[in-house]
Amino acid sequence: MGAAGSKLEKALGDSFPEGERYFGLENFGNTCYCNSVLQALYFCVPFRDQLLDYYANNKSLGDEDNLLACLADLFTQISSQKKKTGVIAPKRFVQRLKKQNELFRSYMHQDAHEFLNFLLNEIVDTLEKEAQAAKNDQETSSPAEKTANGPKNAHANGGPKEQLDTWVHKNFQGILTNETRCLRCETVTARDETFFDLSLDIEQNSSITSCLKNFSSTETLNAEDKFFCDKCCSLQEAQKRMKIKKPPQILVIHLKRFKYIEQLGRYKKLSYRVVFPLELKLSNTVEDADSEYSLFAVVVHVGSGPNHGHYVSLVKSHNHWLFFDDENVEMIDESAVQTFFGSAQEYSSNTDHGYILFYERLGNGHMS
Amino acid sequence: MINSANGMASGQGASSSSSAGAGAGTGANAPSPGLKTYFKTPEGRYKLHYEKGHPSGLMHYVQGKTVTQATLAHLKDRPSPPTPPAQSSSGFSASSGVRSAAARLLGGSNGSRALSFVGGNGGSKSISASSRLGSMGVSSSSNSTSTSNFDGRGTYLIFNMGDGLFISDLNSQDKEPMKAIYFNNVYPVCHAFDQDAKEGHDLVIGLSTGDVYSVSLRQQLQDSGKKLIGAQHYNKDGSVNGSRCTCIAWVPGGDGAFVVAHVDGNLYVYEKSKDGAGDSSFPAIKDQTQFSVAHARYSKSNPIARWHICQGSINSMVFSTDGAYLAAVGRDGYLRVFDYSKEQLICGGKSYYGALLCCAWSMDGKYILAGGEDDLVQVWSMEERKVVAWGEGHNSWVSGVAFDSYWSPPNADDTGESVMYRFGSVGQDTQLLLWDLELDEIVVPLRRPPGGSPTFSTGSQSAHWDSTPPVGILQPAPSMRDVPKLSPLVAHRVHTEPLSGLIFTQESVLTVCREGHTKVWMRPGVAESQASNVETVLSTSLKDKPPSTKVNYSGQAMTGTNGGFFHGSRIFGH
Ligand SMILES: [Zn+2]
Repeated sequence: MGAAGSKLEKALGDSFPEGERYFGLENFGNTCYCNSVLQALYFCVPFRDQLLDYYANNKSLGDEDNLLACLADLFTQISSQKKKTGVIAPKRFVQRLKKQNELFRSYMHQDAHEFLNFLLNEIVDTLEKEAQAAKNDQETSSPAEKTANGPKNAHANGGPKEQLDTWVHKNFQGILTNETRCLRCETVTARDETFFDLSLDIEQNSSITSCLKNFSSTETLNAEDKFFCDKCCSLQEAQKRMKIKKPPQILVIHLKRFKYIEQLGRYKKLSYRVVFPLELKLSNTVEDADSEYSLFAVVVHVGSGPNHGHYVSLVKSHNHWLFFDDENVEMIDESAVQTFFGSAQEYSSNTDHGYILFYERLGNGHMS
Repeated sequence: MINSANGMASGQGASSSSSAGAGAGTGANAPSPGLKTYFKTPEGRYKLHYEKGHPSGLMHYVQGKTVTQATLAHLKDRPSPPTPPAQSSSGFSASSGVRSAAARLLGGSNGSRALSFVGGNGGSKSISASSRLGSMGVSSSSNSTSTSNFDGRGTYLIFNMGDGLFISDLNSQDKEPMKAIYFNNVYPVCHAFDQDAKEGHDLVIGLSTGDVYSVSLRQQLQDSGKKLIGAQHYNKDGSVNGSRCTCIAWVPGGDGAFVVAHVDGNLYVYEKSKDGAGDSSFPAIKDQTQFSVAHARYSKSNPIARWHICQGSINSMVFSTDGAYLAAVGRDGYLRVFDYSKEQLICGGKSYYGALLCCAWSMDGKYILAGGEDDLVQVWSMEERKVVAWGEGHNSWVSGVAFDSYWSPPNADDTGESVMYRFGSVGQDTQLLLWDLELDEIVVPLRRPPGGSPTFSTGSQSAHWDSTPPVGILQPAPSMRDVPKLSPLVAHRVHTEPLSGLIFTQESVLTVCREGHTKVWMRPGVAESQASNVETVLSTSLKDKPPSTKVNYSGQAMTGTNGGFFHGSRIFGH
């Protein structure tokens, strides 16, 4: 391990970024799904910074036993290492994860996308609970005012999630608008929904741009699938499309590579070649300006089937691309990213396929 | 798949995914049941004539190591009969580099060539060798009687795949190449043929190691071996630049000068008349972000100049037909246009996003096509120094673009003041798209509503004349709504593998895939004189258009103006 670390240091030489740490993560038996996502999140710098701040501001976290605390502890451990490279065992985090969720307790292969989703939602829950507790503390400390209204307000605030904008929301949350236009009265009904990632259907020999276009393309609701129009007060044929109302700061794109095949009664991995550019723009937005993104991490699924396999990740840090495979960290050339697009032939020796893509918004898209 | 054969793999749903998967499952060498063998255009049917591939025994491990590029080479003065077949081809290859001898020996009889093929390929290849003999016999006999009847007979398809460089006779139906040259563990990645070479070497080859070779194509064809012969070697072992070559081109009218682009953003100018022996050295590049030119200190060495063009790879470069301008595209997403003799950056601009992968000039030098990772085909105007149209229709990266210089508008008198162009593009979506571009100097036609009369926007376009950016200024990426859109006239899935190249010839369109396969699509009326009914084509084309392409996000758009072909309608108002 030490040798591998020094090899990476040698490869980077003088261009080893100041203050940066590149640590592999030990695998505790089928925890590569977890390791690959943790690396991608660690190199999501705004998220990492928030987490390190959170840790620094909550000194008592050592005793706290939730996933957020464990993750903050892990990231702090990595960033405060004396050595620049090496291996760390995310033991506390994995133990807590398995304890917390039945799904992740088994030694079965796990899905990296499910894990990412679960983790972000857990962090949000914890942050919201803490904010609520802090608020309650405040309210109980000033009992003179509106004591009667206290619980009621608290309840109202706890309800709709957009009331509390945590730093997870600020980084990952985007808003989709679901526009439905009644074909009889032409009324357009818009419904907003929030997302932490976009799950895209994929096609053979396509691009992320094309998958995003299909995601936002117009769909006709007819036959058994008619739309209830409030204005017509009846089921009507309608056209539906999804637009991105608020592009997220960190755009996470999940490629639906695992598809349930009814005839087989099981999931099948789609090894389709789906190319993803290092730079991307979202043009299917409500806003006029095209929001621009840069790719900084890719979680890669290795293997031909959904039930076995391996996860690794590619990470861009300070303009270098790194390859994280559990304990191992290597430098790779930018051009190597294209070897993870997938295969144009169904049966191919290439089984390393980009699965979750992390893009960071560039330019004027600052967090409010 | 029948319905989508004329169009793209359609928008959403499980059916399209599974059909795409089924098509892709077939082996590259097997016939592809999911693919149609023709496509329709307003002027008629393009029919798949035949396919060219690499030798079937080629190792699969080399797949993915390289991307196949294809070059067409037209050898003008084919062997004139008869010269005594005394000189064997092996004897010839020994006399390396004697150019006058090469010229004389070109007359070497067809007999000796045929012998050399049989001898060189051995028994296993005898079947293809004999069929090749047949086609050669035809060509040589017609040559002896009438040279004007010889058109196209000496055209060769040169392509790379893995560590091999292959040469096929374009007019032979043989799938396997007539000649294979192996480089042993290094990869030839780009090549160019000098149509106008009066003497000496006419074929240049760039390697993955940065090494460059120049050879005589004819000399290679006359040799029976599997090695490059009579080659001049430049940048030996990457002594001047050790990074991978990406693109190579002869300077039109450049008297044997050629340029080689590398993955590190540098381009080198070589002169074939000079020895490759003396390597040039160049000063360190001061500012990686700036364009700079350095000349070699000694006039006798090669390369004679280094152009630092950009950070990251130069993915493609093309000279304008007259050789005055050089267009280059790269990893940074910029198209750059240089005045070649002045060594000056003239203009250029950024893609919508992502790297640009390919570019091409119109014959008149007025427009440049560029395609890349934003799935768009951009049309750059040299007069306006900006993108004047975006072609939307590919479902993946655009990897090859070309103007069809053999195409002429159907009814030229109807077009009035405007100029029409036909161009094509191929992509990693395995599709060939054909486009019509009508560009009036002032008026940009909007996308027409179905059945309605065309509407035109004027005014703002002419204002851009005054705001033409000064020399050397690169334009930022335009926003989606500011650029008029084009829709393809035809979208046809031509291969099972992602495509890498596209070539128009007088008789055909050639599509090339990354894995070394070329398909030759005969133009309407060439393969067979079957009258095509335009009305039928129109209705088919409309019916086959998948719904996903009908969504148009931005306001301005234009059609391919050809006889009422309408491909886009806006579903949501703007
Ligand atoms: Zn209605």
